[in-house]
Amino acid sequence: MRDIGSYLRSWEGLLLVLVLAVMGFNALQTPYYLRLANQINLFTLSIEKVMVALVMALIIINAEIDLSVASIMGLAACVLAYLHSQGVSVAVGILAGLAVGLLAGAFNGFWIAYVGLPSLAVTLAGLIGYRGAARILLEDRSITDFPEWFNRLGQEGLVGPVPLSLLLFLLLVGLTVIGLQRSAFGRYVYAIGNNRDAARYSGVDVRWIKMQLFMASGLVSALAGLLLAARLGAVRGNTAEGFELDIITMVLLGGVSIFGGSGSMVGVVLAILLVLNLRNGMSLLNITGNTQTGVIGVLLILSVLAPNGVQMVRERWRRRPTTQQG
Amino acid sequence: MKRLWTSLAALLILALVIGACAAPAPPAAAPAEEPAPAEEAEPAQEEAPAAEGAPAVDMVLLPKFLGILVFDQAYQGAQEAHQEIGNPGKLEFLGPTPENSVQGQIEIVTTAATQGMDAIMISNNAGDQIVPAAKAAKEAGMTVVTWDSPIPSAEGEDLFVAQVDFDETGKVMAEMALSILGEDGGKLAILSASPDAANQNAWNAAFQEVLETDPKYANLELVDLVYGNDQSEDSYNQALALVDKYPDLELIMAPTTVGIAAAAKAMQDEGLCDKVKVSGLGLPAEMVSYTLNGCAPEFALWSFKDLGYLTYYVTYLLATGQIEAQEGVTFEAGRMGSYTIEKDPTRDRGLRVLMGPFTIYTAENVEEAAK
Repeated sequence: MRDIGSYLRSWEGLLLVLVLAVMGFNALQTPYYLRLANQINLFTLSIEKVMVALVMALIIINAEIDLSVASIMGLAACVLAYLHSQGVSVAVGILAGLAVGLLAGAFNGFWIAYVGLPSLAVTLAGLIGYRGAARILLEDRSITDFPEWFNRLGQEGLVGPVPLSLLLFLLLVGLTVIGLQRSAFGRYVYAIGNNRDAARYSGVDVRWIKMQLFMASGLVSALAGLLLAARLGAVRGNTAEGFELDIITMVLLGGVSIFGGSGSMVGVVLAILLVLNLRNGMSLLNITGNTQTGVIGVLLILSVLAPNGVQMVRERWRRRPTTQQG
Repeated sequence: MKRLWTSLAALLILALVIGACAAPAPPAAAPAEEPAPAEEAEPAQEEAPAAEGAPAVDMVLLPKFLGILVFDQAYQGAQEAHQEIGNPGKLEFLGPTPENSVQGQIEIVTTAATQGMDAIMISNNAGDQIVPAAKAAKEAGMTVVTWDSPIPSAEGEDLFVAQVDFDETGKVMAEMALSILGEDGGKLAILSASPDAANQNAWNAAFQEVLETDPKYANLELVDLVYGNDQSEDSYNQALALVDKYPDLELIMAPTTVGIAAAAKAMQDEGLCDKVKVSGLGLPAEMVSYTLNGCAPEFALWSFKDLGYLTYYVTYLLATGQIEAQEGVTFEAGRMGSYTIEKDPTRDRGLRVLMGPFTIYTAENVEEAAK
């Protein structure tokens, strides 16, 4: 236990050093990086993904996965757009979008927590099913004529230059950090991720915890989808398509084990900062397209290989003396 | 463990020092960058040692995504115009990856505004989702021109440089079909890209309308319309399926560069070129061998190089304030001559510059164009 703890701390330390190094490099290389407008753009350009990543971290620590997040984002946006095109007020549309997200998450959660199906299969079905529903709603149309206040909410600052989406992200960081690191709920999430059966025998309501996690994932995904609709001022059937991979990438880079049971919100937040700053810096230096994708891809490979490699070396080191003794 | 932490702390301090050193840099660098959009007020002396004193305009050419030949050709055209004008500013060719096209385009437009670029030329692949970013870029003082593919609502865009008139595509395809099949006519089928591509649908509809309404083409019988989804293998199989389904088929028209090359290869591989010809919209470099061996005797395309050249010219003139984006304004675009800004008849709002016309490629000119 102590080993894992110290490893985690050093992984976060490494991430912190990398984040600071990238920030320093960016600031040295381009005069635009440190401008306030750019610092805000840096977040808002990916804000929907990073919001969902925070909840995804809880799910992966719980030894599950949610592949349907991007489809729920798209579905919530499409529900809003469809209702709007039918003359329903946007305020009602927002509530409907959030409700649909919560329901979609609850549907996932029911099959996973109460029926016991693997989350990989259930949410893969969700990825296809919710996206299909989104496409049926809008077909090939693009809905754009949202009211001015809705577009402004997504595109302009709410408190000074800071937009609503960034404030919500910060709020969510606070909630997930407290929820996971400082509450009984968080301890249960780790316990279930480490050993589901052991957690159940010690009286943890495993099913209800899992159900809550998937409902939270659905709700936050829907919120993120609606924010994306407001930021782009347009919704299509393919809104947010393919986002799930970027989201999972950031969580794994944050040191969360894909097998569950370990990882921390600090690591995830640092990984988010690392990816966003790296992307922004490369964009400002006019490095785009495949190079950008490639750099982040290599980073992920290293983040998966490095801890596993360290573990393998450690295990060999441990085994050797025992075999000699035997 | 302590050691590790000491070294981490050392690294951290190092990073902080780098960060701290970096902080004072921007104010020093920033003033040097600021005077770039000085435009015609001053003839930009410190930035423009060029002979003619052309005002400096920093420009970005943004394709739908990178790695596609026609977009590289458009960049070549833009570079040619860049040198010809002697713009002392920068010309950057930046694009996203295909799977990240929409978010990538939005990010590049936003970043260009942050960097203080003066103009951006977009082949829009994000529909109306690009509008907020394009509007923000305009508010930051940038000139925003679209080419190849416009912003549907025209919001946030100064004007659109259109390659060809969509109705013209139908006429050109009918004309090529007639020239291949002759006065006696025969059966033909369309191999299109995907049912979702707006431009493909518009071209097919225009083609069908010309065939139905113009008595000149009365003997041309359109028997089917299939989709190869702009995938080589799909298109290849669809072409072979057409031949099986219609034994007396004489012509496959593919208004897509992927489809036409795949269909021509299919006919060549099966030794069917004497019986079934292929035509449509294709790239000379990809079609040259099929045109010379008679599988695809005739096909058409506009020049993407010219499209890039014209787009650069009009964008530069707009950015320097030499012309205004208004209906009826006429301008000179170097070697390509004179053009007029008009209302875009294909959209509810918006202005366009129509490049046109098509170039028809045959055995006589395809080798020259393929170089």
